[in-house]
Amino acid sequence: MFLEISGIKKHFGEDESRVEVLKGVDISIEKGEICVLLGPSGSGKSTLLNIIGGIDNADSGYISINGEKTGDMNEKALTLYRRKHLGYIFQMYNLIPNLNIKENVEVGAYLSDNPLDVDELLKTLGLYEHRHKLPNQLSGGQQQRTAIGRAIVKNPDILLCDEPTGALDYNTSKEILKLIEDVNKKYGNTVIMVTHNDAIKNMADRVVKLRDGMVRKNYLNETKIPAAELDW
Amino acid sequence: MKNPLNKRLPRELKSEFGKYLVIFLFYVIAISMVSGFLVADNSLIKAYDESFEKYNIEDGNFEYYEKAENAVLEEIEKEGVTLYENFYKEEETEDFESTLRIFGERKEVDRVCLMDGEMPAADDEIAIDRLYALNHKLEIGDSITAGEYTMKISGIVALSDYSALFQNSSDLMFDNDKFGVGVMTDAGFEAVRDNHIHYSYSWVYDNKPEDDIEAKEMSEDLMSVLSQYGVLTNFLPEYCNQAIVFTGEDMGGDKAMISAFLYIVVIILAFVFSITVGNTILKEATVIGTLRASGYSRGELVRHYMIVPMLVLLVAAVIGNVLGYTVFEKVFSNTYYGSYSLPTYEVLINAEAFVLTTVIPMIIMFVILIITLTSKLRLSPLRFIRRDLSKRGKKKAFRLNTKIKIMTRFRLRVIFQNISNYVTVFVGVFFANFILMFGFVFPPMLDKFEDDITSNVLAEYQYVLKAPAETSSDNAERFVLGSLSTTYENRKSETVSVYGISSDSKYVELTADKNKIDISTAYRDKYGVDIGDTITLKESYGDKEYEFTVGGYYDYPATIAVFMDKEFFNETFEYEADYFNAYFSDEEITDIDDMYIATKITEDDLTKTSRQLMRSMGSMMYLFTFFGVIMFMLIIFLLAKIIIEKNSQSISMTKILGYNHKEINSLYIHSTTIVTLLSIILTLPLCNAILKYVCIAVFSDYSGWLAYYMPPSTYLKVAIMGVVSYAAVAFLLMKKVRKIPMSDALKNVE
Repeated sequence: MFLEISGIKKHFGEDESRVEVLKGVDISIEKGEICVLLGPSGSGKSTLLNIIGGIDNADSGYISINGEKTGDMNEKALTLYRRKHLGYIFQMYNLIPNLNIKENVEVGAYLSDNPLDVDELLKTLGLYEHRHKLPNQLSGGQQQRTAIGRAIVKNPDILLCDEPTGALDYNTSKEILKLIEDVNKKYGNTVIMVTHNDAIKNMADRVVKLRDGMVRKNYLNETKIPAAELDW
Repeated sequence: MKNPLNKRLPRELKSEFGKYLVIFLFYVIAISMVSGFLVADNSLIKAYDESFEKYNIEDGNFEYYEKAENAVLEEIEKEGVTLYENFYKEEETEDFESTLRIFGERKEVDRVCLMDGEMPAADDEIAIDRLYALNHKLEIGDSITAGEYTMKISGIVALSDYSALFQNSSDLMFDNDKFGVGVMTDAGFEAVRDNHIHYSYSWVYDNKPEDDIEAKEMSEDLMSVLSQYGVLTNFLPEYCNQAIVFTGEDMGGDKAMISAFLYIVVIILAFVFSITVGNTILKEATVIGTLRASGYSRGELVRHYMIVPMLVLLVAAVIGNVLGYTVFEKVFSNTYYGSYSLPTYEVLINAEAFVLTTVIPMIIMFVILIITLTSKLRLSPLRFIRRDLSKRGKKKAFRLNTKIKIMTRFRLRVIFQNISNYVTVFVGVFFANFILMFGFVFPPMLDKFEDDITSNVLAEYQYVLKAPAETSSDNAERFVLGSLSTTYENRKSETVSVYGISSDSKYVELTADKNKIDISTAYRDKYGVDIGDTITLKESYGDKEYEFTVGGYYDYPATIAVFMDKEFFNETFEYEADYFNAYFSDEEITDIDDMYIATKITEDDLTKTSRQLMRSMGSMMYLFTFFGVIMFMLIIFLLAKIIIEKNSQSISMTKILGYNHKEINSLYIHSTTIVTLLSIILTLPLCNAILKYVCIAVFSDYSGWLAYYMPPSTYLKVAIMGVVSYAAVAFLLMKKVRKIPMSDALKNVE
């Protein structure tokens, strides 16, 4: 098993305001899979993604990647884990505003010993002609493509996408989903995508439905369709 | 209903407590110091000004070679002056090296302020100056021996015409260590030997002059009358008498400097505040947009964001003023009392100090905040909601060569993004460096001054005689010493020592031709005179002018002096060809009766300036160093903190991406390090140039010459202070960066 999520529990707040966000989540994901975590607001999907990404801690349970448990890692090791294995894509892009598009991608490339060619990648992403612009000069879709570029330039094992189309219109959303799919195909990264858009599950290899901090469904998608054909 | 936004104010204060505390403390320190200084200064100046009337300070004094007849004095008094005998005897003290100037009773003019003990009642009692007593650890009841006469100290006094203990008005600086004054009973004064009596008379005009110009005219008229009745050996109108006027001028100058210093601090802090406020607005953009969209007016928001900074300043001003009146007033008055022999004084409430330290800074702050806030809040609510706060539309990225490593480009982008912060850092570092440099510059400058004097001394001893006297000492060499005054327009006239040197002198080797003069290097540097120039000097106590052609320089860096051949001297001043009135000697001359010696000049006499300056400025230097370091740390910390806060999301994002602390510090803290170090390096020569200009301007007003000197070690010291201070700040900043949670990047902010 490439990625194993086992018995993850997490709460926020204390006493009366204590909320159990994750109540024991177990999921296993194979290398190269596209896994869609589906669920309504407050289901705990983003919290789970953050725990996988090592930017939040679980109360109990563990995450294991290639047999290595993130809970056993100290801060330095966790940083190295993110650096070597993870790429992150957020709903609000989180580009560095004072760096231009190329530099934002280079920020990702710097972390890898063997990064993809930045210019080539920018061309693939359709951003080459915009490479000298600042993020605020681009559309939402272009910014998200930059964020994808930053995430994949270091060729990570796992691509974590937190509502990557949440702030985009229909066409741009499909464009971004297609890009993620292409990246998955081309580089073989494992993709874990959090969304509340039910239609996106159709492009996944594995669908995990979360509600109220628990896994309600976890199945392999037998009827996978290309992102370009998604409709909602 | 009260504005509900006000409920946010305590929370704002709490959430930014560190920042406001630092700013608050800085204001408290600045305001309390300046207010304390102004209150002390004002109270002392008032006491000093009042002392003119209270103690009937003379309008001038003159000295005849011999005692004047009563009839002569009566004749002179017809010129509209009242004359008072103010004879003094000057004797060397036996137990320590100093000159004591002893006066008789002073009942009418230049009266004495008794500060402790009793005025002398017996013939062997003396009351001495407070600072002189302090410097030599003399107390009431102790004995002091001078001129073979032992006196018991009955009291500690301040002589109203010796608030600064200048032995001669031509001295560059006063010296309350090697020179002191004291008063005895008339009978006691008579009992002291007459070897070094000075027939000094003080005068008071019947109708006081309106200003210095009139005082100058009146004194010149008086001098021409006086010179008709005897040989004038000294003539010193009050406005030229450094012992009287120096204190007032110095305290006035200090006030201007300290006020300027306060405004610089306030303006820098106001800019820091405006940057802080800009950052708060950026942080709160969506809140502001929502409030504006809900109907809150721009004015309401401007007021809202002004309250906390203004309140911080107000509270700091109140506490600063209280500390100023209670603690710092004493610190500064003690500093003045440590330099000047001032009479007793009362602490006065100073409205001007309040205006300068409290009202004006508040107005400056108010105006800067209003301007910053109104301009920043001018955007539409929608722009705030979208966090699109750039005024010139969407900012464009300028290109950086892609051959530059990404980390370097990143740092450069951080610098350019925060350029306004860094400009303020530069200005702040400049002022902090200036203050530090000011604190460090004097010891080496004075050391150099002392070294220059001691290595360029004309002879170990110079004996100035009252009348030609012979010696059998082989070392002794005759010379003639006179004095003239400079005649430069728009500059205070000052005394020039005129030396007539033997052509075969082993002490002074002249380079000029026989009918030309060598000028001292001090003269050259102070007045910018070159070889070939003609200088005009005039009699100090007469109108006659002399023109000389400069033929060379003589390396004599501390004294305004000219050197010429002895024969040329005697010819010019119409003396006999073999006339002399002084000896150079490398050994002490022991076979000339003390009564023939007017003055004995040793190395100690020449270096008294540097000693006194060190004494006067010592405590101030620590204060400047302390304040410079605090200012340095505060400004950099506040501005760098803002940069980090502004970039907290990006920092958080780089953490998520997998950048380690070292790399993140190298992006967000090293950029500040680069700017700070560059600012330190670039501002040092700038500070040096300005300090040099200021020092030269100030020293030009003094008699004599103190050459500006800044050794490389001072540069290094200032730079090291800066770097060490910054290291402390950087440590705090790194802690702050470390604390930024990765969840910051997860906030839904565009």
